[in-house]
Amino acid sequence: MNIHINGKAYSVGGEAQISVSSALTLHFVEPQRSTFAVALNGDFVGNTDYDTTIVNNGDSIDVLLPIQGG
Amino acid sequence: MSLNIYGQQLDSRFLIGSALYPSPHVMKQAILASGSQVVTLSLKRQNPNEQSGQQIWQYLQEVVTEVNGHLLPNTAGCKTAKEAVTLAKMSREIFKTDWLKLEVIGDDYNLQPDPIELLSAAEQLIADGFKVLPYCTDDLVLCQRLYDLGCQVIMPWASPIGTGKGLMNPYNLETIRLRLPEATLILDAGIGKPSDACLAMEMGYDGVLLNSAVALADNPVLMAKAFSQALLAGEQGYLAGIMQQRQTAHPSTPTLDTPFWHQNS
Repeated sequence: MNIHINGKAYSVGGEAQISVSSALTLHFVEPQRSTFAVALNGDFVGNTDYDTTIVNNGDSIDVLLPIQGG
Repeated sequence: MSLNIYGQQLDSRFLIGSALYPSPHVMKQAILASGSQVVTLSLKRQNPNEQSGQQIWQYLQEVVTEVNGHLLPNTAGCKTAKEAVTLAKMSREIFKTDWLKLEVIGDDYNLQPDPIELLSAAEQLIADGFKVLPYCTDDLVLCQRLYDLGCQVIMPWASPIGTGKGLMNPYNLETIRLRLPEATLILDAGIGKPSDACLAMEMGYDGVLLNSAVALADNPVLMAKAFSQALLAGEQGYLAGIMQQRQTAHPSTPTLDTPFWHQNS
């Protein structure tokens, strides 16, 4: 299956679907050491739901971190 | 007098942004010099394995803790209510605050807020428990609608973001103040110089939110201090009661018993 995280394409061979937690490991070296929030296909996913929220082929994940703002 | 943000009383009426500074160190010093207790920030796609974002986040946490202040996450970059609602929920999880500077942009040229999407987003977010501080145009009816929805704080623009053009339409801003006497009104965006902030406070606005005018100054720390003093001057001027303008000249010096050269005329 193929997914996008922050616009970058990732291929997950042999899997029909994975959890958000698993998807994040594609993008992070150490997810537990970062401050971030997640949206799946434009909808917020709370951090307590990463293990139970399913990512399907073609889905898009946004991982956002704090930045300066006005 | 204190600034009331959803029942939270703050000593400073200056809300300041955290972007565009020459360095994180200057940002921190400018925020401290401003005396502000509310600092805006945002969320963005970043490579989580790069540490720059984490460093800024640590800096901001240190500053806000030092001034016993509050973070005010924004929804910059959102163009629809749905985007803004999603970003708001992400911000609440990270920043652990229900305060939100709600931005929904409707035009790319002047970054003008979209009033329709803004109202929709505000309604959804208030229902979800957010304390919404909407950034909006200086439209009286829009501000009234936002207030009626439950936005206790309204933030009309002075002029488009980052222009530094100051108060484009003082009449509109004065009318909003007059018609919404109970709302906390914060002038947001477009402020270029300390006198702009002073003018807003002289109108009876409750506070000012700005970023570029400080961050892009030659000396951001000094400019932050200047704005702080300008806000205080404007606030005290408003409280003191500004005299009515008059059409004709009136001598300041008493005319009774004027000096000798008038006596022969």
